[in-house]
Amino acid sequence: MRVLLIEDDLRLQETLSTHLRDAGYAVDVSTDGIEGLYLGEEFPIDLAIIDLGLPELPGLEVIRKLRNRGRDFPILVLTARSEWQDKVAGLEAGADDYVTKPFHMEELMARINALMRRAGGHAKPIVNLGPFTIDLTGQRVFRDGQEIELTTYEYKVLNYLVMHPDEVVTKTALSEHIYEEDADRDSNVIEVFIGRLRRKLDPGGELNMIETLRGRGYRLALVLAA
Amino acid sequence: MRSFSLRSRLVLVSTLVLVIALGLVGFALNAANYRGAVSSLQARMESYVYLVLAAMEVDADGRLQVEEEFSDPRLVQPGSGFYIYIEGKDKDGEPGRWRSPSSLGLQWPVLAAQNPGQMTFTEPHDGDPGFALHYGVGWQLPDGQIVPFTVSVMVNKEEILQQTSAFRLGLWRSLGVATVILVLSQVLIFFFGFRPLRKVASDVARVESGQAERLQGDYPRELEPLARNVNRLLETEKSNQDRIRNALDSLAHSLKTPLAVIQAGLPLHGGDAESSMQNAVDEMSRLIATRLERAGTSTRRTLAQPVPVREQLQRILDSLQKVYSHKMIQTNVTMDEKLVFYGEKRDLLELMGNLLDNAFKYGKSRVHVSGESLDPDALRPGLQLRIEDDGPGIDESQWELLLQRGSRGDEQVEGHGLGLAIVMELVKAYGGNLSIAHSELGGAEILIRLPST
Repeated sequence: MRVLLIEDDLRLQETLSTHLRDAGYAVDVSTDGIEGLYLGEEFPIDLAIIDLGLPELPGLEVIRKLRNRGRDFPILVLTARSEWQDKVAGLEAGADDYVTKPFHMEELMARINALMRRAGGHAKPIVNLGPFTIDLTGQRVFRDGQEIELTTYEYKVLNYLVMHPDEVVTKTALSEHIYEEDADRDSNVIEVFIGRLRRKLDPGGELNMIETLRGRGYRLALVLAA
Repeated sequence: MRSFSLRSRLVLVSTLVLVIALGLVGFALNAANYRGAVSSLQARMESYVYLVLAAMEVDADGRLQVEEEFSDPRLVQPGSGFYIYIEGKDKDGEPGRWRSPSSLGLQWPVLAAQNPGQMTFTEPHDGDPGFALHYGVGWQLPDGQIVPFTVSVMVNKEEILQQTSAFRLGLWRSLGVATVILVLSQVLIFFFGFRPLRKVASDVARVESGQAERLQGDYPRELEPLARNVNRLLETEKSNQDRIRNALDSLAHSLKTPLAVIQAGLPLHGGDAESSMQNAVDEMSRLIATRLERAGTSTRRTLAQPVPVREQLQRILDSLQKVYSHKMIQTNVTMDEKLVFYGEKRDLLELMGNLLDNAFKYGKSRVHVSGESLDPDALRPGLQLRIEDDGPGIDESQWELLLQRGSRGDEQVEGHGLGLAIVMELVKAYGGNLSIAHSELGGAEILIRLPST
């Protein structure tokens, strides 16, 4: 999942992006509103964290413009302004949640997770998928109660597919949402991850949970039970 | 000791001045009248001298004879108050005397002998019965010798006192009436003259109580500079207050980002230091939220337009529905659409935001909000808000602690704590109160009452 972080305080930006990357997100960062807006419009962002007090273009304006231009990914406002009139203004501008500085890192991560889940149509952090149970908060996968060990990138691919059920997901989309802009991408790697995922999740190959649609992409085949 | 009001000072002083001035005028008029009466009396007495001189005969030996046929009855009637005496000496030095019939029975007075042609007028002094005019006459006898006579006209002082006292009575009476009229009209003048001052005073009171932002009104030219300067003072004060508030505000906000950096960096270090530093950061955040950010809040209700409560409530509910969308909370609002809050909009949003945030956070599926006006007949009615949820509720043992926390800044941020602490600070600033109870829905019920002003 790809997160856009617009925060003008470099120290906070750095610490936050470290945490986000550790948690398995691809992170794009910007220190001002105009560049942030550009990234939000042009890149396949899954969630944005926007500080309200931004140079060049205020955070509220960035949010409004993103919404006006049809970007509907979840937006989390991050600001020092803790008054409700500011919170309401942020949410009315189109943000989905609000975290005030200073914040507990676990709290922020929980909010980001919740927003991601909701955007994927999952109200609860536990997703049941046939015999599989995916704990979106703990980033763990179980088959009939037995935990399956996945690498970070394998989990990222699975997570993205779970968040986009009943959609055909292209290899390009997968790599865009898993890697950051400046990473060295190779769509063949995606095929490798998909192959490994299939082997780990379904060694017998009887479920055929990840369909390959030749020339188009992949689709999660099992019906989700929220 | 309370000093006299301006009006009573002015009335008192001007009355005093008026009485003194009119008194002096009275004395002067009285004296002038007396002098006039005296000089007209003197003229009359002179005319009596000539009357008597015309009726007087002196024979060749210098003996005096007076033809007593006066047309003026006052010279004839005894005790009339008008008396004429003539005293002189004949050729041989024998005294010769004559007195008007009116002086019959009276003791012969001491006459001051006058040289011929000399006239002396004397006013009565202590003990003197009246005015006297003495005129010296030298009568030339046929042989050329001159014999001296003194004609004295004497008039009782009652003659003039009657006249002048009647005048004096009339004078003082009319001066008294004039004084009363003038004093009354002064009181009236001051009453109307000071009306703009009273209006300024009541306008300043309105500003003080927050019903007006500045002195507005039609003041007389003399008061305009005062009103202008008071307004300027108010503006300066307001801009100072704004400046302080903004400074505190921006201080609060600029402290938060570095704090966020510290807090975000803590998990990266780990270890024992983390939790104690975490506590310190939490405490600082709490202090900023409950103290610093509220420090600039004015405790006075400014003359903001009354804020429609229902509309702002809806904004909060919409916002919270978004944040807690996964909980599918059902809200139920009981409130008059026309309910208004007399205070700052941001305070209302803050009150409702914090309380409803807790309700959405802890509630399972239902949140009830009800609001009503307190003391609706007051100029600026108060507001009562009740917020309930169907969550686990707040344990009674915690109530006291939570209510106290509002006034303490050293507690850990947790649960209802911080939001409620902010609400407590605000409720206190508005002079209201907050109470915790069990809701019929099964969860917590928070009731805030902000009094009317």
